[in-house]
Amino acid sequence: MATALAWIVLVVPLISGLVLAGWPTEPPHAVTRVLGVGSILLAFILSATIFAGLLGNAADDRAFTSSAFEWISIGGVDVNLAILVDPLSVMMMLIITGVGFLIHLYSVEYMEHDRDYRRFFACMNLFVFAMLLLVLAANFFFLIVGWAFVGLASYLLIGFWYQRPSAVAAAKKAFVINVIGDVGLVLGAFLVLRTLGTLDYGEAFARAPEMGAQSGTALAICLLLFVGSAAKSAQVPLHTWLPDAMEGPTPVSALIHAATMVTAGVYLIVRCHAFFDLSWLAGDIVAFVGAITLLLAATVALQQVDIKRVLAWSTVSQVGYMVMAVGLGAYASGMFMLMAHAFYKAALFLAAGIIIHALNDEQSLDAMGGLRKYLRVAFFGMGAGCLAIAGVPGFAGFFAKDDVLSSALAYGGFGMFCWVVGVVGAFLTALYMFRLLFRAFFGPGPDGGYDPTPHPSRWWMSVPVVILGILSIVGGWLQVPFGWRGLDSWLTPVLGTGAEIIEPTHTAEVITIIVSLVAAFGGIALAWWLFGADPERRKRLAGVAAGPLRVMGDAWEFDRAYDDLFVDPGREVADVMATKVEPDGPQGLITGTVAVVRGASRVVSASQSGMVRAYTFWMVLGISLAGIVIALVLAGTS
Amino acid sequence: MTVPIAAYLALSLGLLVLGLIGVMRRRNPLMLLLSVELMLNAGNVALIGFSRQWDDPSGQVFALVVMVVAAAEVVIGLGLTVAIFRNRTNLDVDELSAMKG
Repeated sequence: MATALAWIVLVVPLISGLVLAGWPTEPPHAVTRVLGVGSILLAFILSATIFAGLLGNAADDRAFTSSAFEWISIGGVDVNLAILVDPLSVMMMLIITGVGFLIHLYSVEYMEHDRDYRRFFACMNLFVFAMLLLVLAANFFFLIVGWAFVGLASYLLIGFWYQRPSAVAAAKKAFVINVIGDVGLVLGAFLVLRTLGTLDYGEAFARAPEMGAQSGTALAICLLLFVGSAAKSAQVPLHTWLPDAMEGPTPVSALIHAATMVTAGVYLIVRCHAFFDLSWLAGDIVAFVGAITLLLAATVALQQVDIKRVLAWSTVSQVGYMVMAVGLGAYASGMFMLMAHAFYKAALFLAAGIIIHALNDEQSLDAMGGLRKYLRVAFFGMGAGCLAIAGVPGFAGFFAKDDVLSSALAYGGFGMFCWVVGVVGAFLTALYMFRLLFRAFFGPGPDGGYDPTPHPSRWWMSVPVVILGILSIVGGWLQVPFGWRGLDSWLTPVLGTGAEIIEPTHTAEVITIIVSLVAAFGGIALAWWLFGADPERRKRLAGVAAGPLRVMGDAWEFDRAYDDLFVDPGREVADVMATKVEPDGPQGLITGTVAVVRGASRVVSASQSGMVRAYTFWMVLGISLAGIVIALVLAGTS
Repeated sequence: MTVPIAAYLALSLGLLVLGLIGVMRRRNPLMLLLSVELMLNAGNVALIGFSRQWDDPSGQVFALVVMVVAAAEVVIGLGLTVAIFRNRTNLDVDELSAMKG
C-alpha cells in the first residue's frame, strides 16, 4: 500500500513535467498552473497519506521496499528499479513535496510575466521528480541517478535566464563543481560494491560491520561519499557554486538551493550512517568540515549587499550545522535542523522574492529600507524566518540549533570544539540575519524614495509566505528539550540505537540553551546597534575594520584562489597544447600520413594507363609467370 | 584410330596464343572480340579433348555452356562497339582511356 502510493508520488511530477515540456506550443497559463502546481499538490497529499499510514503501524513495521523490475543483472551485480519507503525517506518526501508545493504555488505569480512560464514549471517538476528519486531509491545505483538528475535540474534552473552571461557562467560553475562530487559518490559506490558485493541499501548496511570498525576501507568509503555530499551541500572547499547559483529565479533558490537539494548531502550521510558508525575518524572529518563551513560562511554573509547572496551564504552556514551534527553522529538532530531549515529558509527566500518582485528585480540592500510599511506579508515572513534562524526561543531554529549544539556537547572531546564554533556561528547568524532585516525593512527608504511605490503581492505569493512563516514558528515543537523527542523516536527504526548515535544529555541542553540565548540576543542587539538604531553608524564604522571586511566581502578569496590554482594553469596548458604541441604532434602525424599515402599512390597510379591492351599484356604476363612458378613447384615435389 | 590428347592440347594452345596475340596487338574492337572468341574456343577444344580422354561427357556439356556464354558475350560486345562507334566515329580501343589513373 505504502509503496504503491510512493510509486505514484514519484511518477506524477515526472509525467506532468514531461507533458509540459512536450506541449507543442506555450500552453495557456491556466494549463501550466494546473499541471505544474497540481501535480506537486497531489504528490504532497499522497505523501501525507503514506505518512499517516506508517504512523498507524508499529515502529518496527514502517520500512517497505518495492521493486518494479530488474534493471541490470550482470557479473553478480543485481540492480533493481526499487524504492525504499521508511521513516527517513517519508520525512524527506514530506519536506520535498510540502515545501515544494508552496514554492510552486508562489511561482505562479512570481514567474507570471516571464515568457518561459511553461519551461520553468517543467524544470521545477523535473527537479521534484529527481529529488524524490534520490530519497526513495533503495540502492546506490538509483541514488546516483537521482543525484545526477537533481544536478541537471539545478543546472537548467540556475541558467534559466540564459540571456544573462552571468547566469550561464553560474550554471556551468555549479555543474562542474557538482560533477566533482558525483565522481566521489560514484567511486564510493564502486568501493561499496567491491567490498560488500552489493549496491542494495538493506544488504550493504547489514553487511557493513564485516569491514570491521575503524578499518581503512570504511574510512575510504565514508570520505568518498562525503566528497559527493560536500559538493551537493556546498561545504568548504566545494561551496563556491552556491552563492553564484542565486542567478536563478528566487523560487528556484528557495526550493533547490535552500530547502531541498543542498540538504541531499546531509540525507546521504544519514542514509549511510551504517558506514559512518564504523569510523569515528570519518565522522570527525565530516564534522570538522561542517564546523569550518558554518563559521566561514557566516562571516561572509555579514558583508554581502545582495539580499539573495546573504541568504545563500546563510544557507551554506546552516547546512554546515547539519553536516557537523551528522558527522558527530547526531543524525536525528541533523535531520531536525534540515526540516526546520527548509521551513525558515524557504520563508526567508520567498519573502525576499516578494521584495525583489515589488522593486522590479532590485536585489541590493542599499536600494531598500523602510519596506515594512509597504510589504506587510514579506515583513511577516522575513521576521518569522529571522527570529527562527537566529534561535529565539519558541521558534523552529531555536529547538533545532539547540539540539545540534547540545548533541555536540554531549559528544565530548572534539564535540567541544564544534560546540564553540557553533555558538560563535549562532551569534554571527543572528547578527547577519538581523542586519538584513533592519536594512531592508527599517530605517529610511533609499535616497529619493521608491519609484514606483512597492506593490504588495497577491495571494499566490502571500499564502505560501504566511504558511512557511507559521511553520518556522511552530515547526520546532516536534522535539523539545526535556520534553518529547518526536523526531528521534520517528527515526529510530532507521538509525537504530547503537552507541554511535548521539543524543543530547540534560546537562548539555541546559548549558547550550543559556549560552545560545546569550549568543542569539547578543547578535540581535549588536545588529540593532549597528544597523537598526542609527543607519549612519555602520558607514562611520566601516573604515575601522576595512581590511578584514574586504576579505570577508570577497568570500575569503576562494574564487580567486581557484582561478589561480586550476583555471589559469588549465588555460595555460591548453594554450601550450594548442600552439606548440598540436601543430607538430597530432596534426603533424595526420599530414605526414597523408603525404606518404599521396606520394605512394602517385607512383602506382602511373600504371593505370587506360590502355586495355596494355592491361591484357600485363595480365597474360602475370598469369604466365604464375603458371611457370606453379609448374616448377609441382615438378619439384613429384 | 584415336587422336592423342597431346594433339588436342597443342591445337588448344595454338588457338589460345593466337587469340592472346590478337587481343594484345589489334586495336579494332571487332578484331578484339574475334580474338576472345578464338581463346574461348581454344578452351572448348581442350575441354572436349579431356572429355574424350576420360570418357566423361561433362566436358562436352561444359563446352556447350561456354558456347552459350560466348554468344551472350558477343552480343554485349557488339552492342558496346556499335554504341562507341556512334559516339566517336572511329574504332580504336587505345583511345578509350577515360579511366586513366
